[in-house]
Amino acid sequence: MSVASAVAEQVLNGLVVGMVYVLLAAGLSIIFGVMDVINFAHGELFALGAYFAFAIAGPLGGAGFWVALVVAPLLVGVVGMGIERLTVKRLYGRDPLYHILLTFGLVLIINDLITSVWGKSAQPFPIPAVLDQPVALFGFNYSLYNYGIIIFGSVLAIATWLLLNRTRFGMIIRAGSEDREMVRNLGINIDRYYTLTFGFGAALAGVAGIVLGAYQNVSPTMGSSVIIPAFVIVVLGGLGSFRGAVVGGLFVGLVQTFARTYAPFLEGLIVFLLMIVVLVVRPKGLFGTNIGAGEHHDGALLHGAGGGVLSSATRAKIGYAAVGVLVVVPFFAELTGVTYSVTLLEDILIWALFALSLDLVLGYAGLVSLGHTLFYGVGAYASVLTLLHFSPSVFVALLVAVVVCAAIAWSVGYLSIRVSGVFFAMITLAFAELFYNAVFKFDFTGGSDGLFGVDVFYGLAGIGIDPREFEIPLGIMTIDGGIVQYYFLLVVVVGSYLLARRLIRAPFGSVLQAIRESEERASFVGYDVTAYKRRAFVVSGGLAGLAGGLFAANNGYVAPSFLHWVNSGEVIVMTVLGGMGTLYGPMIGAGVFVAAEDILSSYIDQWQLVIGVLFVLFVIFVPRGLVSLPQTIAEQPLFDSVVRDRAKVNDPEVERHD
Amino acid sequence: MKREEYSSNGGYGPRSSRRRFVQAAGLAGVAGLTGVAGCLGGGGGGGTNSITYGVISPMTGPYGGLAVGQRNGAELAIKHVNENDDLDVEITGVYEDTEADPSTGRRKAQSVVEQDGASYLMGAISSSVALALNEFAQEQEIIYNPGGAAVPITGSNCNEWVFRAETNTAQMAEAVSDYTAENLGTKVWFHIADYAYGESVMSRVEKRMKDGHDIEVVGRSRSQLGSTNFNSYISQIANSDAEVAVLGMTGGDLINFVKQAASQGLKESVNLMSPTMTFSVVRGALGEAAYGTYGGVRYLPTLETGDNQSFVEAYRSEYDADPDNFARSAYMSIRMTARGIAEADSTDPAEVKDVLPGLEMDTILGPNQFRDCDHQAMNPVWPGELVAPDSGSGPAAVKLGDMIDGVDALPECGELGCNL
Repeated sequence: MSVASAVAEQVLNGLVVGMVYVLLAAGLSIIFGVMDVINFAHGELFALGAYFAFAIAGPLGGAGFWVALVVAPLLVGVVGMGIERLTVKRLYGRDPLYHILLTFGLVLIINDLITSVWGKSAQPFPIPAVLDQPVALFGFNYSLYNYGIIIFGSVLAIATWLLLNRTRFGMIIRAGSEDREMVRNLGINIDRYYTLTFGFGAALAGVAGIVLGAYQNVSPTMGSSVIIPAFVIVVLGGLGSFRGAVVGGLFVGLVQTFARTYAPFLEGLIVFLLMIVVLVVRPKGLFGTNIGAGEHHDGALLHGAGGGVLSSATRAKIGYAAVGVLVVVPFFAELTGVTYSVTLLEDILIWALFALSLDLVLGYAGLVSLGHTLFYGVGAYASVLTLLHFSPSVFVALLVAVVVCAAIAWSVGYLSIRVSGVFFAMITLAFAELFYNAVFKFDFTGGSDGLFGVDVFYGLAGIGIDPREFEIPLGIMTIDGGIVQYYFLLVVVVGSYLLARRLIRAPFGSVLQAIRESEERASFVGYDVTAYKRRAFVVSGGLAGLAGGLFAANNGYVAPSFLHWVNSGEVIVMTVLGGMGTLYGPMIGAGVFVAAEDILSSYIDQWQLVIGVLFVLFVIFVPRGLVSLPQTIAEQPLFDSVVRDRAKVNDPEVERHD
Repeated sequence: MKREEYSSNGGYGPRSSRRRFVQAAGLAGVAGLTGVAGCLGGGGGGGTNSITYGVISPMTGPYGGLAVGQRNGAELAIKHVNENDDLDVEITGVYEDTEADPSTGRRKAQSVVEQDGASYLMGAISSSVALALNEFAQEQEIIYNPGGAAVPITGSNCNEWVFRAETNTAQMAEAVSDYTAENLGTKVWFHIADYAYGESVMSRVEKRMKDGHDIEVVGRSRSQLGSTNFNSYISQIANSDAEVAVLGMTGGDLINFVKQAASQGLKESVNLMSPTMTFSVVRGALGEAAYGTYGGVRYLPTLETGDNQSFVEAYRSEYDADPDNFARSAYMSIRMTARGIAEADSTDPAEVKDVLPGLEMDTILGPNQFRDCDHQAMNPVWPGELVAPDSGSGPAAVKLGDMIDGVDALPECGELGCNL
């Protein structure tokens, strides 16, 4: 085969992959770009399309695929409209952050429903027989279905573009994305159009699910495997630009395909490198417009702080009580034999620290970091590598973890703090994914298995406690290394909380909150907004690194999953769940999240469904988080007098759960 | 629904912190405490050896489809052991979900040990979770049966508490290497998913194929774990001189690769071989696209080895489905370990782990044992060809090649990096 036809074949491959990306991103681009909804459930709607098609095509035989191609997207569209009506609609006007929590819940719900109907294994969904054959064109064999994907993708892209740009429907949608109030004032029922738009975006996801279901396979994880690439394409192409999504998709497909042949080491990295470069050089994406960029951060962030029913003196007392409870738990556990509660509490404390670190930027500086697990994971790797190669001292390991993460946070912040809102979220996500994929490639990070077999020493230069040999018999119980580990953890976490509180009460914290409330005003008063945000990001990165380092030192290992984006999503969920903008809220959120998942998953097979429903209800009805629960209840006029007293009794229980 | 009653943990009672005793177990005197726990266990069951087996499987996440088999196989094994009057062992099962995440897996392991009093553990599929549990088992001094196939679990990361009934990648390399070199081609392209399992397939199969055969590696490529588009690699393979492509990947990666390769016509010019091609989930998802490919066989319900047919029958009547490899390996793990407990006549893992290595017993794969020097079960293996089933459509049937005995399939311990 000649070089020319080999290159031509790779161009075709690139176009196929590119069209796959276009199909994935088309629906998301509309929902994300037009409605400002960060829809993590897009992947699950995609999967739902494939499963509906599988259910329809199976019994119908030969023509089934074509029937499914029409019917299944309509069904997904209806599901989408239902989702918009019941849930998304209630969040309009709020910061896109809340959509993360909401759609995270929807992901769990839809995924659980899919596995309970169709099982957990991949299902056969063959390419229709007519298209399932190689054809020889341009001097080489190539799959007819792949040609089909290119043609189908093009037609769909053009049709969608025409719909958005040449019809009244599209005109209203575009107008609504720029100024919803104005459209409403013109007498147009914009809400109805938003429902239709969400349904249309969902239907496009469904179409992609069918076309790709036949090209790949139909399985419960197909949704989560496409969601990150889909976001990349949409952001890279330019938010709110459908044309951008199409060009971006094809561009990424081609670059990725050629990199596979000519620069295989970059596999897994190139897409995110590309995304970072594009966002740094041109924050609005390849085809984005300024209008989109400016509009994307005016939703209301709802904080848990302020106006609580409890006085600060009461809150302080509750805080002391909570720490007191945490101090005595191990003794209680020893006496009753429920030692697992200590194990669970250790995990909770670490996640609480992680959530606290995120809250410093999310709740106080208004920066949505969607890649915070970068610091958690790097902290864990740094601490394990230090313990393995340099020093068995946990102090040294944690110090290294904090310093390394703070340095990375400074660099990431330097590059990305200038961009705001959704773009910042996406650029941090790209950095996190870059590191996630990189650790697989090196021997010193232990590849996909991670690093194991670390022993820690709680001291410096030989003076301190070796938890493996530490033992004090104390009457009916024995105090040993496990206790040292727990109290060390508790001291570090409480210490970090006090440090964060000191920081927030200092002028530094007031400036941050001023920036959160109005960036413009803060800069008019003369503060260097970017520098303040970056400093907060450095502190936050360092604390997240400390959390990761603690986990790794505590458990003696690290694995690539520490860097997986799901952690970033979960820590946002914990923060919002607990109540961001208060330091203790996210810590309570972490406690409730980890404990609920641990307990539910032990007793209920459908635990994802239950947790998903809880998230959705929470974000709709208690958006200010768990810490606002007493106030939310107290504000119910009916229960006002009765509950006002009881709230004071209830709150410590919430704390103690933590 | 899956967690059995708390109180039924076989007389262990509210055990005051296994973790804390065991962490100090290196010290004299503390070993006595562990011994007391063991005695309590024996006494509580009224003459029988009562234990709690923790079964932790990745029920949610990418291995969910395989985990169902693992959990079912374990449940059935526990039922059969309890019903078997010849075996003086009474097992209570506790079932948890690792979510395919090492952190969650380890916490769940801690939960079944501390909360339910389990001193035996079975489960995990991915090697990162299994390796985390390897460490855990050693720390806690409990017996662990991993469900993962990566060599290091009973190789470089082996320890005396880990007993594996799953067939490992090195054994599978023995199954397919000679067959591939002799029947499928000597010009080989290795395509692997870029993670420990893929690397392990490539290094083992390449080493074994070069051993006694004149083969040429014409190319190598690595895709990111979890990739969904493979046509770029498929073109590279099609445009090379390769006669056979060895695929070091499994699950969704393998399914997507083979499906796209089939539609691009690669099967007509290059033989496709993967050690996990015969897995029932792979065959189920690929349908016709798998016809004409080749794989290694760890297990098939049609095997006539040992008491496999009665296992298959029991499994069918219990779950209304055929057992897959993961059901088989979970079933074997627990039944083999139970025989060790009966042999030792003690529920103390420390005593069982001394009796179990090299103990000959009958299994569903015929006479078997956990090998003395690395605790790897000496399972037989087969090469296989995937052919159209008699019905003409649906999941491929497997045409078995010649069986390779357990002794021949398992490389020397030293070669795999373990010497216990």
